[in-house]
Amino acid sequence: MPQSLFLKFLLQKSIKLLVLLGAVALLSFFLVSRSPIDPIDAYVGAAILKISPEQREVIADRWGLDKPPAERFFCWAGRLVRGDFGISTIYNEPVLSVIGKRFITSFWLMLLAWSFSGVLGFLLGIAAGAQEESLLDRVIRLYAFTMASTPTFWVGMVLLTIFSIELDWTPICCAWPPGMSAEETCFWQRLHHLLLPALTLSLIGVAQITLHTRGKMIEAMNSEYVIFARAQGDSTLGIVFRHAVRNAALPAITLQFASLGELFGGAVLAEQVFSYPGLGKTTVEAGIRGDVPLLLGIVIFSAIFVFFGNTLADIIYKYIDPRMRRMAGT
Amino acid sequence: MFVQLYRIHLNRRSRTLVTVISCLALFAAVFLGAWLYGENGEITNLQLRKLPPSWEQPFGTDWLGRDMFARTLKGLRISLMIGLSAATASAIIALILGLAAATLGKAVDTAVTWLIDVAIATPHLILLILIAFACGGGAKGVIIAVAASHWPVLTRIIRAEVLQLRSSAFIHLSAKLGRGPLWIAWHHMLPHLLPQFVIGLLLMFPHAILHAAALTFLGFGMSPHTPAIGVLLAESMRYLSMGLWWLAVAPGLTLIISVQAFDILGNSLRVLLDPKTCRE
Amino acid sequence: MKRKAHYLKHFAIALLGSAFIMGSMETVYADKESIILAIGGENPEGYDPILGWGSYGNPLFQSTLLKRDADLKIVPDLAVDWSLSEDSLIWTVKIRADVAFSDGSPLTAEDVAFTFNTAASAGGLLDLSNLQKAEAPDDETIIFTLKTPDITFMQHFISLGIVPEKLYGPGYARNPIGSGPYKFVRWDEGQQMIVEANDRYYGDKAKIKKLVFLFSEENAALAAARAGEVDVLGIPSSFANQDIAGMKLHVVKSVDNRGLMFPLVPNTGKKTPDGLAIGNDVTSDPAIRKAVNYAINRQALVDGVLDGYGRPAYGVVDDMPWDNNKIRFHDNDPAKAIEILEKAGWVDANGDGIVEKNGRDAEFVILYNSKDILRQGLALTVSEMLKRVGIKAIPQGESWDRIKKELTHLHVVVYGFGDHSPLEMYKLYHTSGPEPLYWNAGFYSNPVVDGYLDQALLAKTFEDSIPYWQKAQWDGETGFAVSGDAAWAWLVNLDHTYFINKCLDVGQSQMEPHGHGWPITANINQWQWTCN
Repeated sequence: MPQSLFLKFLLQKSIKLLVLLGAVALLSFFLVSRSPIDPIDAYVGAAILKISPEQREVIADRWGLDKPPAERFFCWAGRLVRGDFGISTIYNEPVLSVIGKRFITSFWLMLLAWSFSGVLGFLLGIAAGAQEESLLDRVIRLYAFTMASTPTFWVGMVLLTIFSIELDWTPICCAWPPGMSAEETCFWQRLHHLLLPALTLSLIGVAQITLHTRGKMIEAMNSEYVIFARAQGDSTLGIVFRHAVRNAALPAITLQFASLGELFGGAVLAEQVFSYPGLGKTTVEAGIRGDVPLLLGIVIFSAIFVFFGNTLADIIYKYIDPRMRRMAGT
Repeated sequence: MFVQLYRIHLNRRSRTLVTVISCLALFAAVFLGAWLYGENGEITNLQLRKLPPSWEQPFGTDWLGRDMFARTLKGLRISLMIGLSAATASAIIALILGLAAATLGKAVDTAVTWLIDVAIATPHLILLILIAFACGGGAKGVIIAVAASHWPVLTRIIRAEVLQLRSSAFIHLSAKLGRGPLWIAWHHMLPHLLPQFVIGLLLMFPHAILHAAALTFLGFGMSPHTPAIGVLLAESMRYLSMGLWWLAVAPGLTLIISVQAFDILGNSLRVLLDPKTCRE
Repeated sequence: MKRKAHYLKHFAIALLGSAFIMGSMETVYADKESIILAIGGENPEGYDPILGWGSYGNPLFQSTLLKRDADLKIVPDLAVDWSLSEDSLIWTVKIRADVAFSDGSPLTAEDVAFTFNTAASAGGLLDLSNLQKAEAPDDETIIFTLKTPDITFMQHFISLGIVPEKLYGPGYARNPIGSGPYKFVRWDEGQQMIVEANDRYYGDKAKIKKLVFLFSEENAALAAARAGEVDVLGIPSSFANQDIAGMKLHVVKSVDNRGLMFPLVPNTGKKTPDGLAIGNDVTSDPAIRKAVNYAINRQALVDGVLDGYGRPAYGVVDDMPWDNNKIRFHDNDPAKAIEILEKAGWVDANGDGIVEKNGRDAEFVILYNSKDILRQGLALTVSEMLKRVGIKAIPQGESWDRIKKELTHLHVVVYGFGDHSPLEMYKLYHTSGPEPLYWNAGFYSNPVVDGYLDQALLAKTFEDSIPYWQKAQWDGETGFAVSGDAAWAWLVNLDHTYFINKCLDVGQSQMEPHGHGWPITANINQWQWTCN
């Protein structure tokens, strides 16, 4: 693409991104400020009887809750443009620090899980759709629906019990061995701790991609040119790889890149079952306890990942199916 | 002679019809059973706690002595209602938005894509909680909350499908022959979108049920002692490590069977309605 | 192309294989030198006493002026002498001279004064609004000036850990230097915290050199214990009836209680200043409240809902030094409950199983916090028990926020309390202002009881206050206990259950307050490893 066209493209995308960030921040702030949950009550918890109304006012003052919502939002936005993400009220430390600590550890886990579940899901979908109603198809469908219907926590606990307790192949928790510091552990230990959470997330995450790909694959296998190719004597496998796969890739691409935000957001499952640090629980806490700086900080980064993912998907569509290049709107 | 008749009439179409009717009969039985059993699932009995399955209690009893069979039946009715309503509403929103984005021009597409990005980037649980609370909680709040927050990804899938369809030969032909966009959408695109639409709906159904449970435990859904399947499953987690397997297996199996039944139903209907396969 | 794939496959297998082998070579031994505890205790704000860390007792990294021993008697810690002035407004405390923080710098009265003064305005979980100021005239003396007399202010001497003035700053919470028995080493948020014994500790030095706190979720922690990798496991009582290899069950009594709060005024349409509706026409009748108390079978609740890990609760402070054991009564007496109801005019005229009076059914809602399965169990079983005396109780689960913002003054609520300080009793039963929030949500008001509670605060010593706390419950003629106004229906006291490695001796555990897990570390410097 010529230089000027590329710059124009970049400029357009950047503006879209900024508008998106603004909208998401505003919406999240609005949601949290209208939330029924009182951040002071959430903070005080069981100590409710020991905290007098005067003390509640001191807490409110410390968090700036006594100011009107519009003022708080503009205060936050003003600080943000100067690069100051603010201090988290839950963690009592800078938002970037809270996010950074957790994101850095969880990123590799999420990358592994995201990639693996995408590839595995796609392959399973192809295998199932290539021969509709075959034994393989039924088994894969049953697996996918079972994964979609089972609470993920349960699957995680079962896998933990099997692999970490009964078989003792994988560690019982955490991103590195308890009692040691991150710096003391070597690459292999970190990989060892990564394996079961990544496997669990992948096994659970394939359901959507598998079933959507299978549906598209069935449609592709029933299409005219597949019938034509069969008539010409092509084997099923040949047909699958040369004609059907490319078509069946569309929903898989959509799903995979729509979930790019996971790379940032982490998975609550990994944190709960494997105590693997990440931003999943933190995001929920921030929302539930009205920690505005932290929530908005997370939302900003999350929106960047989501925007990036969906834009990538739109670009990839054009390579998968050249006919889509002629479409307006992307 | 009967055998001959049987063989003649059991082509794929007939078999499919039988399957469809059986599935529907199963669901009807669930609703009837739940209505007949009534309030039996609510009675606590501290003498009969944590009993494994037996003749009197086919699914055993739970940690407060309640009959799991009655609870599961009632829960299935509740969850079917919640899951189907939320999933259908969400899927229909996705269909409309997806179609609109890909057929009504660049401005609409930009707007819808932007809306999707906003929805996906906003923390899921907070969106759910606030909408459920604003709608007064309970089953109604849960349905509206789940429906209003689960359309983005399916919208993107449908949008991509339509974008691909738009460029195919027969659509071009139709347009050249003077058919308006709505006619084309209804007659040509919808049948091709149906598979992805149905899959999306089917996947959203158990998802909605599990979300209903999460919202309930946070206090923004129904009362946690309502035996909705998701709630039963979540409660059973605690007791699995104690060996009370029936608490999880009964609701778990019923959910999986329901989802499978819908899947079979969906597949069968597609076979019956798809012009390529309906005469087999 | 095929060969490349072939090598790739072999490489992948080798990679994964090595990962297994190398990774499995790490083992975590529990030996005399270090133990692993899964008892919760992760505080997102960090470990800063000024913000409230340790207010459940035992801040671990820091020391406090006073502490409670295994029998809950107040004994000296940093303080060697403490006295209250005649007008009950000025505390004079003398501290030891030989205390140093873990970095070597000495702990002086300046640090104590600094800690208290800063905590008063810090906006954390400590309510020091009654403190006028704290001063340190010399290195070993601190003078605390209060605004109003309140003997329960002493509780802060027991729970507020002392921080070093010179080292305190915004990052203190994640690097908490103190003079406690253990010093902070590192905290991997969401995973673990590592602490080591403090060699400079002035008291009994800890025998176990290194502690690793694992911050796993309940089920995951239980799995870890099953795999033999946890030495101390805090679990809810529903998990306690099982065997874990190498571990023994350790049951600790607690004052952690659960009970039913009744609205005590009728619904006349009045509202609080914040707009909450007040009153319940059924529970405002003392006969109903007494009948509920007599109809319930508390032992069955303990056996059924708590799996046997607990004891019946007849009052708010059972078995504490300020408990009045004259308030005990025989529950599980439906005949007596029905009799009380009849005498007050509640009869079942229309045969529907529910008693009525003046056309109103004996019906009310019991609210419980949706997140709490124990409270749910209590609400459901109590409803079942009340059916046999003709009272219809409808259990309903709600979020705390909804309970607090709309419902708490209208319905019966399952609440839980339990503290080492009797201030709780004051807050629950003293006549409150127009918006009592969670405290005296039922708007209980009895001037005689108020009198006793006020006098308790004015007492010169803690021991002197005890008779007044007792009289407030029942003085022979009136009180808030069942024999008097029956303001609440207290149900059960929880036992806190732990699994402990058979080789670990944790000494005698204190009766724990509300919230189990961390309180077991109260005597952690005395724990020892008994195997060889």
